[in-house]
Amino acid sequence: MKALILVGGFGTRLRPLTLSVPKPLVEFANKPMILHQIEALKAIGVTEVVLAINYQPEIMLNFLKEFERKLHIKITCSRETEPLGTAGPLALAREILIDDCGVPFFVLNSDVICDYPFEEMIRFHKSHGGEASLMVTKVDEPSKYGVVVMEETTGKVEKFVEKPKLFVGNKINAGVYLLNPSVLDRIELRPTSIEKEVFPSIAAEEKLYAMVLPGFWMDIGQPKDYITGLRFYFDSLHKKCSSKLAVGSNVIGNVLVDESAVIGDGCLIGPDVAIGPGCVIEAGVRLSRCTVMRGVRVKKHACISSGIVGWHSTVGRWARLENMTILGEDVHLCDEVYSNGGIVLPHKEIKSNILKPEIVM
Amino acid sequence: MGSSDERVVAVIMVGGPTKGTRFRPLSLNIPKPLFPLAGQPMVHHPISACKRIPNLAQIYLVGFYEEREFALYVSSISNELKVPVRYLREDKPHGSAGGLYNFRDLIMEDNPSHIFLLNCDVCCSFPLPEMLVAHRRYGGIGTILVIKVSPESANEFGELVADPSTNELLHYTEKPETFVSDRINCGVYVFTPDIFTAIQGVSSQRKERANLRRMSSFEALQSATRSLPTDFVRLDQDILSPLAGKKQLYTYETMDFWEQIKTPGMSLKCSALYLAQFRFTSPYLLATGDGTKTAAVIGDVFVHPSAKVHPTAKNLLTLNYAQIGPNVSISANARIGPGVRLISCIVLDDVEVKENAVVIHAIVGWKSAIGRWSRVQGEGDYNAKLGITILGEAVTVEDEVVVVNSIVLPNKTLNVSVQQEIIL
Repeated sequence: MKALILVGGFGTRLRPLTLSVPKPLVEFANKPMILHQIEALKAIGVTEVVLAINYQPEIMLNFLKEFERKLHIKITCSRETEPLGTAGPLALAREILIDDCGVPFFVLNSDVICDYPFEEMIRFHKSHGGEASLMVTKVDEPSKYGVVVMEETTGKVEKFVEKPKLFVGNKINAGVYLLNPSVLDRIELRPTSIEKEVFPSIAAEEKLYAMVLPGFWMDIGQPKDYITGLRFYFDSLHKKCSSKLAVGSNVIGNVLVDESAVIGDGCLIGPDVAIGPGCVIEAGVRLSRCTVMRGVRVKKHACISSGIVGWHSTVGRWARLENMTILGEDVHLCDEVYSNGGIVLPHKEIKSNILKPEIVM
Repeated sequence: MGSSDERVVAVIMVGGPTKGTRFRPLSLNIPKPLFPLAGQPMVHHPISACKRIPNLAQIYLVGFYEEREFALYVSSISNELKVPVRYLREDKPHGSAGGLYNFRDLIMEDNPSHIFLLNCDVCCSFPLPEMLVAHRRYGGIGTILVIKVSPESANEFGELVADPSTNELLHYTEKPETFVSDRINCGVYVFTPDIFTAIQGVSSQRKERANLRRMSSFEALQSATRSLPTDFVRLDQDILSPLAGKKQLYTYETMDFWEQIKTPGMSLKCSALYLAQFRFTSPYLLATGDGTKTAAVIGDVFVHPSAKVHPTAKNLLTLNYAQIGPNVSISANARIGPGVRLISCIVLDDVEVKENAVVIHAIVGWKSAIGRWSRVQGEGDYNAKLGITILGEAVTVEDEVVVVNSIVLPNKTLNVSVQQEIIL
């Protein structure tokens, strides 16, 4: 089986992190975002994954070779010379995805994190016999998204409504599709939207079906949702494989700590914290609802209550970070500094307080 | 005094990537010294000023950037100006004087009688030949370019006190809290090779002190006496300050303009200063036009020869050329559509400005696209954080969108208007 992951471009919504590292390689719960998806695909027997990108820094190539080697799965890059939208990239990768036996292929949006219930989706796809399946997920505020209007019992999709003003349904496109190769015949090699052009035409022929995604779903393309997504991911990890999570008297709730990280005495870590490789958390530190990337040092008595600390940064003694503070790579927060929602670009030293959310360049 | 085979070497300090983040977001895409002012890379201006020095043997650019960032520029400028320019990379910070000392063997290779030291991010008229003449007259080991500024702003710089008749440097202090003098250090110096002896003196003195200090653990706890590495020598605090009043250092005052180019806002201001200077030194570089056959040019404007300023062919009856200036600089391959108004801006390479758009007090990054009837403007306060609008590389401003006093990082598309915002 094959799969295509829509990686897209510069990941500007995840800046300042993506100023240092391409988005697919930004770690989520101590693992590069794209690796979560590739591993899940490998687990159900996908043999080749195509990454549809329109910007490829050299650094990605090395990582992809490593993943290929470790996972024994083929990874190729399909590079758009002009942005092709959400469907165009499929046409570009046609030669890889097309299959004479009609074996369907997966398409994933690279920002989506969920349980990836691919086996269930394959069963669902076979049972309805249509041309395409997509996952939908229930949300509280559907009018922020594109709503999928469908028959409740069969899942047959009637139509898509973009940001509806009145309530038409609460299921939105989750960004996970299973498509028959014949879908490729509907897509020209030009900027095309899968939601606005391709799916509506398949739905009109009553060949598009939607499955409600079991479990959690999050689009982690921006920092706020990244942090919320961590919580959902950890809840799911707790149910499936809680041995990976940390335990101890200094741990509250779900906490993931890389084995090479060091945590001092008198700390209180959690809930929903990920601590990356090589991190040093000194004594008396409080961390909650945050991610601490590779190589970070959090000095004594500091407190981080919501945020992301970028690679190789340091947080000074008695510093306090809260309200979605994001520190880019190699940022050094001096002792006793307070940050309320500061967003700090890479290679900076912060000596004074950031009293209200602002971007520090 | 000055014989015709006394050679001169110039050293231009260009800095490095992580040192100054104040030039972001432009420095995310290009080393600051290569950012264009009045159509030429920032470092080009001191380099071409050095060319006016008689018997100039060599120009060295000293900095922390990777060699490859300067390789192309250095070889092309050497060819263009017919003077050897070489980039030297510091392996670690040595301070402003330590950097000079670090490369003393190379600098002294040509056996120069005098060495100019310039900071790349200084914008001024660089009166280097005049400084050399004055320096020879004074007979000291160094002469510092100074300028008079307002007393209120003097404490942002190094303040100097000079003897009004002999011009000897009597006193030097860096960023003092109280008022010392309204004459400040411009960051342009000429030295005799004795300067290396002076730098070495500081270095060995520090080594001695460090050895002594090791014996006192109490002193080691005092962060105030935390010692710098022995080869880290700052020109201002370690050399100029101690040598003041010893008849070794002199000052030369410039009456022309002087600014430091620390932020993108200042680069726009300095671009205007250099454009104004071109009107006197090289008026052929400036654009002309009255709007009938080409764009209407107002004031000082630079347009790169490969840039295209033209109306569309379809409506020749209402030919509507752009109006450009004052203080506009348009880089290579930019395309300016009909009916566009550009005031006080830098338009970088490959930018497309579509019909009837307006750009005022802004910097438009490489490959950006400015939509029809859109308006990109800043207030024009060169010192404020959001005083001018800066669009990074490959930013698209869609038709009719208004962007005011904002900074937009590379690769963004603006389809709604924004004010006073930083868009990551």
